[in-house]
Amino acid sequence: MNSPSPGPVVLEARNISKSFPGVKALDSVDLTLRAGEVHALTGENGSGKSTLSRVVAGLLQPDAGQLFIDGKELVLSDPADAIRRGIVMISQELTLAPTLSVAENIFMGRLPRTRLGAIDWRRLEHDAIAALDRLGVHVSPNARVSELGLELQQEVEIARALSADARVLILDEATSSLSESATRRLLDLVVQERDKGMSVLMITHRMPEIYAVSSVSTVLRDGKLISTVPIPATPEDKLVELMVGREIEDYYAKRHIEAGETVVEIENLASHDAGIAPVSINVKRGEILGIAGLAGSGKSEFAQALGGAVGATGRVTVAGRAVVLGNPARAIAAGIGYVPDDRKGAAILPVRNISENFALAWMDRLSRRGFVSLRQQSRDVNAAIRDYGVATSGPDVLISTLSGGNQQKIVLGRTFERAPEVLVLNEPTRGVDVGAKSEIYRMLQDAAEQGAAVIVVSSELPEILGIADRIGVFFESRLAAEFDRAEFTEEVIAHCAVTGDRRARPPKQE
Amino acid sequence: MTDITQTPPRHRKPSAAATLLQSRYAGALVSLIVISIFLYLYQPVFLTWPNLMNIVKSNSVAFILALGATFVVISGTVDLSFGSATTAAAMVFGLLLINGTPLPLAIFGALLAGGLLGAFNGYLVSYAKISFFVVTLGTLSVFQSGALIMNDGGSYSVFSQPAFKALNTFVNGNLGPVPIILIFDAVLFLIAGGVLRYTSFGRALYAIGANPEAARLNGINVRRVLFTVFVISGMTAGLASVVQVGRLTVASPEVDLNLLLTVLAAVLIGGTAMTGGEGGVLGTLIGMLFLGVVQNGLTLTGVSSFWQGTLSGGILIFSVWLGGVRGMLRSRRQAKLT
Repeated sequence: MNSPSPGPVVLEARNISKSFPGVKALDSVDLTLRAGEVHALTGENGSGKSTLSRVVAGLLQPDAGQLFIDGKELVLSDPADAIRRGIVMISQELTLAPTLSVAENIFMGRLPRTRLGAIDWRRLEHDAIAALDRLGVHVSPNARVSELGLELQQEVEIARALSADARVLILDEATSSLSESATRRLLDLVVQERDKGMSVLMITHRMPEIYAVSSVSTVLRDGKLISTVPIPATPEDKLVELMVGREIEDYYAKRHIEAGETVVEIENLASHDAGIAPVSINVKRGEILGIAGLAGSGKSEFAQALGGAVGATGRVTVAGRAVVLGNPARAIAAGIGYVPDDRKGAAILPVRNISENFALAWMDRLSRRGFVSLRQQSRDVNAAIRDYGVATSGPDVLISTLSGGNQQKIVLGRTFERAPEVLVLNEPTRGVDVGAKSEIYRMLQDAAEQGAAVIVVSSELPEILGIADRIGVFFESRLAAEFDRAEFTEEVIAHCAVTGDRRARPPKQE
Repeated sequence: MTDITQTPPRHRKPSAAATLLQSRYAGALVSLIVISIFLYLYQPVFLTWPNLMNIVKSNSVAFILALGATFVVISGTVDLSFGSATTAAAMVFGLLLINGTPLPLAIFGALLAGGLLGAFNGYLVSYAKISFFVVTLGTLSVFQSGALIMNDGGSYSVFSQPAFKALNTFVNGNLGPVPIILIFDAVLFLIAGGVLRYTSFGRALYAIGANPEAARLNGINVRRVLFTVFVISGMTAGLASVVQVGRLTVASPEVDLNLLLTVLAAVLIGGTAMTGGEGGVLGTLIGMLFLGVVQNGLTLTGVSSFWQGTLSGGILIFSVWLGGVRGMLRSRRQAKLT
């Protein structure tokens, strides 16, 4: 799918510099986008990727440097200006109006009018259906956006961008909340638009996507341009090395951990609220159980039910003791450490500092008769910042200013510190850059080594294959099959996730 | 990778002045100082002990309510009914006094009445899960009407009651040069600040205001904490009613709607965010002092009191805007440091 024949230069950024008080976010960076080309912008979080894409999209004004479109220098004063010139950005943060209809959102700011100047509702609906069909999304144009799931909302956002006749499309981690099938559809669409001459700038943490569609990658590190390299001529480990500035020998660093006795027994765990059929599975100490499945397969709901986040029925015992279901506090008391997938919405306290975000999970331990020991809190937090490698200037920094990877280390670290018997991690590396991912894999193997049973629910198949001892695959709200490390391959798991069938061993085995 | 042997990150403690200037209430503090200097230059009588104590006394009802309102706003909700709850509790207090109830018991009765009204709000918000805005807007009129019903629209004059002497000492008396009510306010302030900072209840309030789902998933009983915070708000209304009756010598069923603006304005000017999870009582104290000084300045300079609403409303909008700008600058700066 990698296009070999790039067209003329559409957009060029030269010597772009941008400083924020205290730090140089971009230091004289160049970027050249050609028609009919997908350009991957890579680098760790904080490397300046987002800043650069926001400059190109007119959301930020650079301190120095020039932008050229079709060879002519111009200044983009605001995003509307960029959109008028055909530069459209889709970011992971949705920018939809939830109370309006799908159609109104797609054509926001450019609703079709009748001759009298009133909204032409009929044409709006017609155009919206056309825009949605192009993406292969089946949703009524009259549905309210708030009634749609996150994934469909993201697709509405994409439909809006594509219907704006973009010449330059910027995808800023646009796939991070999409399932595999939706991601594939989006990537197909990107390829299709590219072949029609669109220029695409793509920011993603998912390596396979970069290799699937892009033909060139610009690597940033610490706000500086490191290199612009051809894809796929540059191998993945080389690209990662350019991004992090050092070699990551073994990304997953899977260790052999001797499994102990069964510590968590799940019998017919079902959730009426979340809609999952009864699931039974056991996990041993030291074991890492991966849970795979497509979006909507029930894997995320399974994690929520175990963590007490939603009402549930069935029987769960931890170290022989029954857990009261449907109550997070009881789950914690029973030794279950649950980390939700929605970091911003359900895990961090965005307006509070690092210290309080750690301590949120330690209130029982830190307080005596209702009083919190701030001295002990400060000691514990400093130790945890060090132990979990949180990059920060101190514990009083607002958590919302940290990178996704650092936020996630805090969320995982505070849960690990409680030394739970069972860890239930829902998408633990979502929106986390490569360097931090590798550290998170190390963290959760450390926890397994110390005797925890670890359940990792993830939409990223490579990571499940990389770290799990056993994989359970969800399909249509039930646990369809289990595979041991000896028998799982990407092919087998992916097949099961799509069909629910436990296929016979692939014939190619020796 | 991190080196395990390294010592915990040590950062220099910023100076007290720098901390103050970066805090959420910096705008209010600077304005308070500037306006005080101007007032002093224009009317030196401003900086005299009796005048300052006058400011304290005339704002103590609002200040007590503002402490409770700070708790509520930190939790991410708002109580619009505390003014009416104060009036209703005042009627209960007045009724107890005219029936010869001893003062301590009558105060207890006012507290209990306020607490029950707060519990009613709290139950509807946290257990019946009705929007706090709807609930407290509703109870704003329910409590007000309840106060009218109690004595068929009439008030209770407590001036001639035997317990009034003690009440008057509490509200208007001095201990040496210091008004007793100032000491009372200071103690309440310290308790409120201590609860917010040092107790798990206080920490739970911030957590719930910042992200209720994160709080719930980490084992905090969100409903119970929200219920409690409304009870606290009701109890501060009970306390405020005692001071109010003492100052007015009468328990009146009229609700002072200005109180609602003054109290919430003090909380917000003090940097406690309407969105929850941020702020504290020190900011509220500064916000309250600021509003009190402005009001006092109008009186001293002979400006028509009709201007007061314009000023305090304008100041409210301006200072919250200033807080937003400051927050934006701070988070940008921090984003780049990490």
